[in-house]
Parts: sequence; C-alpha cells; structure tokens
Amino acid sequence: MKEQKTVYQAAIDRGVSRRDFLKMCTALAATLGLEFTQSDQVVKAMETKSRVPVVWLQFQDCTGCSESFIRSSQPKTESVLLDMISLEYSEVLSAAAGHQVEASMKQVLKDYKGEYVLAVEGSIPDDDAFLSVAGQSAKATFLEMAEDAKAIIAYGSCSSWGGIAAAHPNPTGAKPITNFVKGTPTILVPGCPPIAEVMTGVIAHIITFGKLPELDHLGRPKAFYRHRIHDKCNRRAYFDAGLFVESFDDEGAKQGYCLYKMGCKGPTTYNSCAEMRWNGGVSYPIQSGNPCIGCSEKDFWDNGPLFTRRAKIPGTQTTINPDAVGLATIGLATAGIAVHATGTVIKKKKDDKRGEDHE
Amino acid sequence: MGAPKLPTQSPGPFPEDPMINSENSFHPERPIQFKKVKNEVRAYVWELPIRIFHWLNALAIMVLMVTGIYIGKPFASASIPEEAYYSNLMGWMRYVHFFAAFIFVANLLFRLYWVAVGNKFATSNPLRWIFWKELFETIKFYLFLKNKKPHFVGHNPLAQLSYWIFIGLGSWIVMLTGFYMYFEPQPESFWAKLFVWVPYVFGGDSYTLRSWHHLTAWGFMLFTLIHVYMAFRDDYLERNGSISSMVTGYKTTTNKSVGEKNND
Repeated sequence: MKEQKTVYQAAIDRGVSRRDFLKMCTALAATLGLEFTQSDQVVKAMETKSRVPVVWLQFQDCTGCSESFIRSSQPKTESVLLDMISLEYSEVLSAAAGHQVEASMKQVLKDYKGEYVLAVEGSIPDDDAFLSVAGQSAKATFLEMAEDAKAIIAYGSCSSWGGIAAAHPNPTGAKPITNFVKGTPTILVPGCPPIAEVMTGVIAHIITFGKLPELDHLGRPKAFYRHRIHDKCNRRAYFDAGLFVESFDDEGAKQGYCLYKMGCKGPTTYNSCAEMRWNGGVSYPIQSGNPCIGCSEKDFWDNGPLFTRRAKIPGTQTTINPDAVGLATIGLATAGIAVHATGTVIKKKKDDKRGEDHE
Repeated sequence: MGAPKLPTQSPGPFPEDPMINSENSFHPERPIQFKKVKNEVRAYVWELPIRIFHWLNALAIMVLMVTGIYIGKPFASASIPEEAYYSNLMGWMRYVHFFAAFIFVANLLFRLYWVAVGNKFATSNPLRWIFWKELFETIKFYLFLKNKKPHFVGHNPLAQLSYWIFIGLGSWIVMLTGFYMYFEPQPESFWAKLFVWVPYVFGGDSYTLRSWHHLTAWGFMLFTLIHVYMAFRDDYLERNGSISSMVTGYKTTTNKSVGEKNND
C-alpha cells in the first residue's frame, strides 16, 4: 500500500493552523452526534489515520448528490476533499479525464485493496444496454469496485432505493445497488439529494472509527435517520393544535401553520432535515413553507401526488383518496342493500302467500 | 357472568331425523342452552361477555373511525387562529383514537379468550368440509336461489366467514399497523422493537402501512353496514329476535334445532 499522509498532516501542509484543526474536529464530533468529551477521540483519529481513498461512481443519477455534497458546511467540503479523503475517481470533481481517470480507478484496486471507500450515486439498470461508462457496463464496474472496497456508501435515493429511474414503469429496470452487493458493508444515505452534512458526516465517521456508524433495520445511519421529520418539525405545534394550511396562499400559510393537508409527507419520512436543516442550517422545505415530499423514502415518486394526502393500494403503485373511495364503496353497498332488501320483501310476501294457499 | 341455570340438551347423538349441520355437530360438549316460553323455544346464544364485547367493539370502532378520519384528513380546524398554544384539537383526536384503540385491543383479546371457555356459538372452525358446503348453500340462499341451507341457531357459515375476514384478519391488520405507527417516534424503545417486523409483513414503508390501516378501516365500515342489514333481514324473515338477541342473549328457534321433539 502506498504511504499516505495523515489527515492532520494534510491539513497542516495545506496551511491550516493547529487551532483551526482542533475546531474542525470539535465541530465534526458534534455533527456525528458525539459527546463533547469524545471530541479528542476525533482529534486522535485525524492525527493518526491517513486520508481514505474514495472512488465515487455515478450511474443512473442526476449529479444532484454530488452537488449537495460540495455544499457541506460542517465539516467544510474542502476540508473533507483535501484533508480527510483522497478522491481517486469522480466524474464531477476529478481533474483528469478520459483514459487517465479510468486508469486511476484501476490503480485504486491495486494500491488500496480493501482500504478504499466506494461511494455510489444513482441506480444500476438491469439491462446493460442502458448504461455503460468507458465501454464497461454499470453493473460490471460496480461489481468490480464493490468487491474489494472497505465499505460502500449509497448516496441518494437512486442508489439506496432505485429512485426516479426505478419509478413506474421503470423502463431501464433500475435497481438499488444493494441488489448487487455481495458481502461488502453498505450504508444507505437516502435523500434526493441527501443533506450535505449527512453525506460528509458519514465519511468522517468511517475515518474516525474505522467502521460504519450504527445502522437501522434498513441500513441507514441511525444518527441521521432515526426520527421522522414530523417528530422534529418546527411546525409540529400547529399540527397538534389543529391549525392547517388549506391552500398555499391562505392566511394559515402566512402564519406558518402545519402543511399536513397540503400533502406533507413529514409523518412518513425518516430524515434529519428538521434538525440538521439545509445550506449550513439555514432552513428546510417545511420551514420555508413547502410540504415535505418524502424524498428520502423508498419509492417516493410512486407515492402519489406530492401535494395531496392519499393512500396507496398495497402491492400496487396506485394511490387513491381513501375517504372518497371508502364513501363511494359504502354508497354502492347501500344501493345494493336496497335492491336486496326489496327482493327479500317480495320473496317473503310470495312465500307467505304460497304458505297460506297450502293451508 | 355465569349463564342462567337452564335445562340443557344432553350431548350425544341427536334424536330421530338428526338434522346434521355444521352447527349441531360442532362442539357437542358445549350443548345449546334453551328455555321454553309458551310454544316457543328460546336458545341462549349470546352469553353476557359476548354481548358486552359486541357493543364495546361497535362503540370502539365508531370512535376509532371518526377520530381516524380526522387524523387522516382533518375536516375541521381549531377555532382559535394564529397561536398554536390555545388549541389541541388534533392532539385530542389522536388521544381519543389511541384510548379507543387500547379498549379495542383489550376487548378483542378477551374475546379470543372467550373462544376457549364460551359456548359453541363463541367459536368457529372453517377447517371442515361441511362448513364450506353450507357456506355455498348460504350464498345461494342470499342470492334467492334454490338452496339446501339448514337452519342455524347461531351464525351461518357466511356470517362466520365475514367475522374471520373482518373481525379476525381486519382487526389484526389495524392493530399491528396501528401499534407500529404508535411507536414510530420511539424506534429504540422495547415496544417499538416488538413491532419492527410489521413493515416486512405488509410489504413496505411507513406510508404503505398507513395505507393498509386507512383502507382496512373502511373495510370495517363496509362490514358494519352489511352486518346490520343482515341482522335486520334475518329478524324479518325468521322472526327470531336477531336484533334483540344482542341485548337479551336469546334467539327464538325451532324445537328440532335444540334436539327436542318436534311437537308443532
């Protein structure tokens, strides 16, 4: 394995002062959800561990996750890119291009076998014809790189669940990367895109502790996906009070009432938007007056219109207004009963008459 | 809550012309209790705990439905605008929903216990060929077709099947999805861990589970409507006191059905 500078050394060489380095580590510990007393653990890790080689693959995606990633504020993207990781391959950020950059990916396999982290953005099509990069199919590239990776990070809803490419009718046969992983530890960081600090935080955790953070039953880091947005929402008080926005331009919208009736998916969405917020903690959709669209949930594209509350018919990709359909069913059943009851009365009258005739 | 002391039909083979149906061949060790009033035979069908279960269940379902519809699609807003501080409308709806849900669950668990200790009408066994044969005859009866549906003192097989589907299966769907949602905010708690497997059974995420819950609730409404109609219809056709039986426990029936000699 090639000798690598430690994170600390890389930062010092870049002109970062010791003081700023310590500040970065403390902030990083806070992002990871560690206690203040544990921040020296982060410092120690950054002083002793070398930068982690990262290969960032993009498949059926929109580069939105990369765009989100480069807007991280804590830790700052540049400190992640220049100090913590060594980005060996990225279609967005690599300076090299063409054969050079493909060669550098192959080099990672040789130099850092079992040491590098594989970040994946986008879903993988079932049919190779839909996506090939540098003459190699997406599936083949992924399988090749996944086998010897230390860990795989699935960035975004596409690589985690299939995302928009897998939405009905899924023409490419898009699959989440977990369908192709064989034994390599994998962490899902869903979201469309995921929150920048969550993306960098996951990498920082892997560097600090040398292993994946604690995952939930779906493989997402508990630190960031433990709660529903609804549970931490800044408008939750209005939900409990029963004060709802009825349309986007009414008084309630101005007052900042709950967006539940505008189809907010906060109650079914696991993410930390309400705590971490976006753009360095400035705001998040609900705070800005837009209902949550549930972008970090599986199949969110197929969960019905974004701004309407509906129910999904289990096992299908069809959503309905459950109360309208329920009432219609009851109406139909009532009509059926009316007909049946009429039939019953007629039949009874007839039978009674026949009985009398016999007597 | 013991049953009234009444003469009972002795277990064993039925006297002359044993009208074998799925009912009187079922649990012979739990004979039908009955009393005679004038010329009528009144069978004690619904024991007191069953009647309490029935009405508590009906009440809980109605409360759950109204509050549940509100939770799914709030049809009214708090009357005091601007500040959330003064109202707790959704909070109360949810509280009442949860309260009624716990009653619903405790009630149903008691009912399941009563299957073991109650009379023969407190239980049902669809794993018998005769059950399905009579079910087919009963369906023909309801479609006004020529049929060989025997007389049933308790529920006919079609009614029993509807309870299996709605009270049996339906209740478990709403209870399991309901408890999963109830504990969703505390995924680390013991209670939440008891229900972590629920999404795997119902194939999906939090949203799909809600859909199951909501749609099954409407299934309960459909059941209630048909159930009430059928009860009135039965009373109208048989003059057996179907409706009052859920209060008194007694249904008027034939001599034959309780094993007495037919002295009409």
